[in-house]
Amino acid sequence: MNRTSRIWRWAGISSAMSTLLLLAGFIYAVSDIANPSAEARLQGGSSTHTEKNVKAGAWDVTAIGDSLAKGTGDDTGRGFARRTVDLLNKEGETSKLVNNLGINGLTTEELLPMLEDPGVKYALQHAGIILLSIGGNDLFNGTDTLTAGEHVPTQAEIDAAIDESSKHFGEVVAQIKKINVQALLVYVSLYNPFSDLEGMREIGNDAVARWNAMAMNALGDYEGTLVVPTYDLFTQNSSRYLSSDHFHPNGDGYQAIAERMAQGIARE
Amino acid sequence: MKALNNIFPLVKNETIKMIKKKRFYVILLVLIVLVPMFAYAQLRQAEDKREKFGTDWRREVQQAITDNQNSLGSDRVPEEWKKYRQIYIQQMKYYLEHDVNPREPGGVSFTREFLDNAATLFIPLLIMGVGSDIVSSERTGGTVKMLLTRPIRRWKILLSKLLTLLMFVSLIIVSTCLICYLISGLFFGYRGWNMPVFTGFQLRGAEVDISGVHAVPQWQYIFMQAGLIWFVSMVVAALAFMVSVLVRSTSASIVIMMATLIAGNILTNMASSWTSAKYLFMVNLGLTNYLAGTPAPIEGMTLGFSLVVLAVWGACSLVVSFLVFTKQDILN
Repeated sequence: MNRTSRIWRWAGISSAMSTLLLLAGFIYAVSDIANPSAEARLQGGSSTHTEKNVKAGAWDVTAIGDSLAKGTGDDTGRGFARRTVDLLNKEGETSKLVNNLGINGLTTEELLPMLEDPGVKYALQHAGIILLSIGGNDLFNGTDTLTAGEHVPTQAEIDAAIDESSKHFGEVVAQIKKINVQALLVYVSLYNPFSDLEGMREIGNDAVARWNAMAMNALGDYEGTLVVPTYDLFTQNSSRYLSSDHFHPNGDGYQAIAERMAQGIARE
Repeated sequence: MKALNNIFPLVKNETIKMIKKKRFYVILLVLIVLVPMFAYAQLRQAEDKREKFGTDWRREVQQAITDNQNSLGSDRVPEEWKKYRQIYIQQMKYYLEHDVNPREPGGVSFTREFLDNAATLFIPLLIMGVGSDIVSSERTGGTVKMLLTRPIRRWKILLSKLLTLLMFVSLIIVSTCLICYLISGLFFGYRGWNMPVFTGFQLRGAEVDISGVHAVPQWQYIFMQAGLIWFVSMVVAALAFMVSVLVRSTSASIVIMMATLIAGNILTNMASSWTSAKYLFMVNLGLTNYLAGTPAPIEGMTLGFSLVVLAVWGACSLVVSFLVFTKQDILN
């Protein structure tokens, strides 16, 4: 009898206390969700600030830009970013991929606001090498309609696109250099994905040549920049290096680009 | 007041029965066995990530943002998921802007995430474990005649059973939190009480209104979570109680409740186009979503709406239980 009383007292008191506690939590939660504009009761994250000054490794890589940076078309998903890291590691450096911030279909204009994001800035600051690929979508906008042959951009359209985008490109480069001046900025220049397409070959070659000259100029203003040519790789070998979508490189294509990067990056 | 005077000994009696039948211990045992499994799985996942990102959570969060941004462009991703991901991106950006790690490992964080995941199925299942047979077992065992031949009104007997059930619901939720914290602390450490968690994201379609966002210490967040889960569990308990009154066999009543709960989980994953499903109780069990700012499964659901739907279901099932139990003939 004594034991059962003890069970009852224990269960009764603890459950009554639990119920009161949970009821209070419930009321608090409902009022908090109903009136969310209550001012911040806590300044976030003051304790985590200390670890922010991690030194960037000289060989650590951040890739940023469009689908090429992301590695679209590479069946292994590694793209030139990871392949470059692997090549550098094979040569005895200790390199790692900090982040791959490539986004499919990104244009120079869309890249600019991204560079304001704290997370993007953070990833760029922690890299010794920044791989940039951008511009392809500015020039050959709407690749789906292009490859389907529905709409072939005219010379005038492409000219206008280059004028507009080269302004954004200059701002992108300036912004990246402002975020991390020490890092080596490697730009993957454009190739003409339509070199096997009658009628697009001429226009494409011309546009790519103009864009690459512009990019070379813009990057030449800064220390620690590098332009990696890809134009020659794809001119005659488009079937070997392009993936099935006729626009992005395949694994071999990315490997070829990565090898160029590894060759161009300065060693001590 | 006098009528309620002799309810106390009845509740005491029921409580002792509940303890003696070891129902509550079974639930504690289930938690003690399962929580280490979840904690271990999470530990492995964390180790995996540490290999890729080191201890650098900012890179990890930024990569999550980029990956989600990439999927937004894909035509193969359903619009509904895109909305979820857009909201997720905006929330993660908010964390980065305020330099707060959304997933700092620790026993307290584990408890918070566990509660989020357990709110709609796991905890309701535990509640059913004590609720489903509270009346029907008396009939399966034939002891109901013993109960009813005593000179006590039938509704009092039922009320004492209900009160006991609700007592144990509270106990189950508090012990879930405690066991979760104590066991996961062995894996991740016991810190993290004051880690800031953001709440108050208001959703307008795919846009997140951050004007009401504010940080609360993690212990307060868990406090709110537990409160919301408690309300859900009360309603689940009331429903299990009704089924237990209506159905004679214990196993049948467990099957009915379990099927309903699982159906609710399936519905929340696919019923977004069937809008009147939002009046079903089992779609409204995820109250903690409103706290975290994840979109409700069906357009037009808000915290107030869910609370009303749940309350109506709970109240109706109690009315049915009492009407049926006081009127029905006990044969057998």
